[in-house]
Amino acid sequence: MIVLGSTSEVAQAFVEKALQEGEKFEKIYLFTSNKETTERFARHIDVKFLQQSEVIELDLTKEIDYNRFDTINSNVLFCAVGYLGEGTEEGLYDNKNTQRIIDINYSKLVPVMNYFAHKFENRRSGTIIGLSSVAGDRGRQSNFIYGSAKAAFTAYLSGLRNYLFDKKVHVLTIKPGFMATKMTEGLPLNPKLTASPRQAAACIYKAFKKQNNVAYVLPVWSIIMLIIRNIPEFIFKKLKL
Amino acid sequence: MKPNFTQKVTNWGNYPVVEKEMRSEDSFKKIKDFVLNHNEIIARGNGRCYGDASLGESIFSTKKLNKFISFDRLNGVIECESGVLLSDVLEIAVPQGYFLYVTPGTKFISVGGAIASDVHGKNHHAEGCFSEYVIEFKLMTESGDIITCSREENSDKFWSTIGGMGLTGIILTAKFKLKNIESAYIRQESIKAENLDEIFKLFDESESWTYTVAWIDCLQKGKDIGRSILMRGEHAFQHELPQNLGKTPLRLKKKLQPTVPFYFPGFVLNALTVKLFNWLYYKKQSKKEVKNFIDYETFFYPLDAVNEWNKIYGKSGFIQYQMVIPKEAGKEGMKKILETIAKSGNGSFLAVLKLFGKHNPDAYNSFPMEGYTLALDFKVNSKLKKLVDQLDGIVQEFGGRIYLTKDSMSRSSLTNYLKNIRSSKFVSLQHKRIINNNS
Ligand SMILES: Cc1cc2nc3c(=O)[nH]c(=O)nc-3n(C[C@H](O)[C@H](O)[C@H](O)COP(=O)(O)OP(=O)(O)OC[C@H]3O[C@@H](n4cnc5c(N)ncnc54)[C@H](O)[C@@H]3O)c2cc1C
Repeated sequence: MIVLGSTSEVAQAFVEKALQEGEKFEKIYLFTSNKETTERFARHIDVKFLQQSEVIELDLTKEIDYNRFDTINSNVLFCAVGYLGEGTEEGLYDNKNTQRIIDINYSKLVPVMNYFAHKFENRRSGTIIGLSSVAGDRGRQSNFIYGSAKAAFTAYLSGLRNYLFDKKVHVLTIKPGFMATKMTEGLPLNPKLTASPRQAAACIYKAFKKQNNVAYVLPVWSIIMLIIRNIPEFIFKKLKL
Repeated sequence: MKPNFTQKVTNWGNYPVVEKEMRSEDSFKKIKDFVLNHNEIIARGNGRCYGDASLGESIFSTKKLNKFISFDRLNGVIECESGVLLSDVLEIAVPQGYFLYVTPGTKFISVGGAIASDVHGKNHHAEGCFSEYVIEFKLMTESGDIITCSREENSDKFWSTIGGMGLTGIILTAKFKLKNIESAYIRQESIKAENLDEIFKLFDESESWTYTVAWIDCLQKGKDIGRSILMRGEHAFQHELPQNLGKTPLRLKKKLQPTVPFYFPGFVLNALTVKLFNWLYYKKQSKKEVKNFIDYETFFYPLDAVNEWNKIYGKSGFIQYQMVIPKEAGKEGMKKILETIAKSGNGSFLAVLKLFGKHNPDAYNSFPMEGYTLALDFKVNSKLKKLVDQLDGIVQEFGGRIYLTKDSMSRSSLTNYLKNIRSSKFVSLQHKRIINNNS
């Protein structure tokens, strides 16, 4: 398994869930921008599951040397890369913030995804799992820079799914709603709408096994987003969402 | 949206409830920043202490310190971060033929909490407290420095932290020994006792057993006082097991876990229902003596079988009153305690009696001392303070003490066995309460 964004609690919970369920991986490649935290996790899965892994530093805001990834091969890619940045109210006119959000969530991420997608295509097998966001379902005034990058990422995944379909590679888009993770710590989230990383991992694992195309982490989000997507624009623009 | 880290926090008894800052970090550097930037901090593991021990102005949750570090499968030595739960340890240890030397009645506690409370199990008379098997741990002190504590290195901090209720710093990681087992099953004998005399006699006769515990029906009066069931057990060897268990002796089948879905309304647990429960529990076993093999979960953690059973006590919460009375006076003291409870009509849903062996003098902050320990659950209501005060009086009279990790309202003279823990940085609500009571 290849994991992009290995410090993500959801990614880690997913790896554990898969191993608990008895999935076998020769090696798990843990890509990360935070070596220390990821090394802890690598040791953890070694102790717990005798699972071999390799920690590989990847900073999406810098130049990427793809030669380093030559020998990496696997049949599952799990991408949990995500960067929330400042919301629009505080960060809209801060170009650095905008650029970073777009880079990490989309523009610098997609080439890396493509690099591995190509390998999967050549092998004619595998699953690519991408964590997008409900924020990409419709732009809202509170975080639409992030939302727009996620919307682009969602569109990318859906196109990739279509493109890889007859090449025997499956692409799964996950749209988590609120999750109780580092990203949202200290924010006042409604507990009924908020999934723990463990819950999220269980949902994602199920969708992975069932070869779903698009899955919301908590089912209520599919209903909420159905409603939000269908509010007519002339009303939507007046809402404080 | 700006982060706001205050939230409602409460421990297992749902009493008291506070609204305080609670944070969790996973890098030692960030934990240091947290320590240096806050004045009154207390560590919190999984909140399974019942009362106010892990509550304070700024709560540091070890939830994110949840990684294993190493496991020496040959010698059964495991090292992990302090927020790892005993259930996580068992998950990897049992299939490898290892078990915890000491486990409390729930496996959902953290390793840090096990050290800070120096927990005991059903085998204290035979194998002592959790600390006996701790090799070393890393502690973050007031200055944010990380020190390694063991019997040799920083041994003063090692011993004051054991049973030190989080008041010496934050335990970050710990290394401890596991015991060998051949199977995940326990050879159990349960024996009914008609009264207190009989149960104490049974305890005496069972001294060579590794695990002993008794469930008391504590609403009985007069000659029936102390009506109970004693359970004693040993880890089963593979060759003893019946054939159906012996094939995969270290693997248990998965069970469904019911969850209590909401707080029960107050009237559910009144004196009558408690009486009924205890009666049923006692009657369930129709024979005087039953011998069988049961899996370790059922033997050690019967209460874990129902998730969130603490909600049964309703929103006002409950307390657990656990005391120890020195051995010589044990029987007399217990009798007085049970009589007082029966008279009060404030029934305890759960009453567990255990035997403690000798106190380890090095672990001076540990609760257990040689004698009998009784744990009782009481729903919080307006009459409870008075009952607790009466019980405290009896415990004091017999030279006993109260278990800090379950305490939230006892008098401080029963809890002030804690030594060498003065710190201006690490302060819990419990400690403040105890100090204020004293002055
Ligand atoms: C159903 C049930 C049965 C139980 N049975 C038993 C029993 O048989 N025997 C027994 O001894 N206990 C028993 N207990 C009590 C329980 O074992 C202890 O309260 C234990 O300490 C709880 O651990 P925790 O991780 O939940 O810690 P918390 O409840 O969060 O904290 C307990 C104490 O440990 C301190 N602490 C926690 N983590 C750290 C850390 N990393 N560094 C420093 N200090 C820390 C806290 O400050 C606090 O003082 C039982 C509890 C329940 C709910």
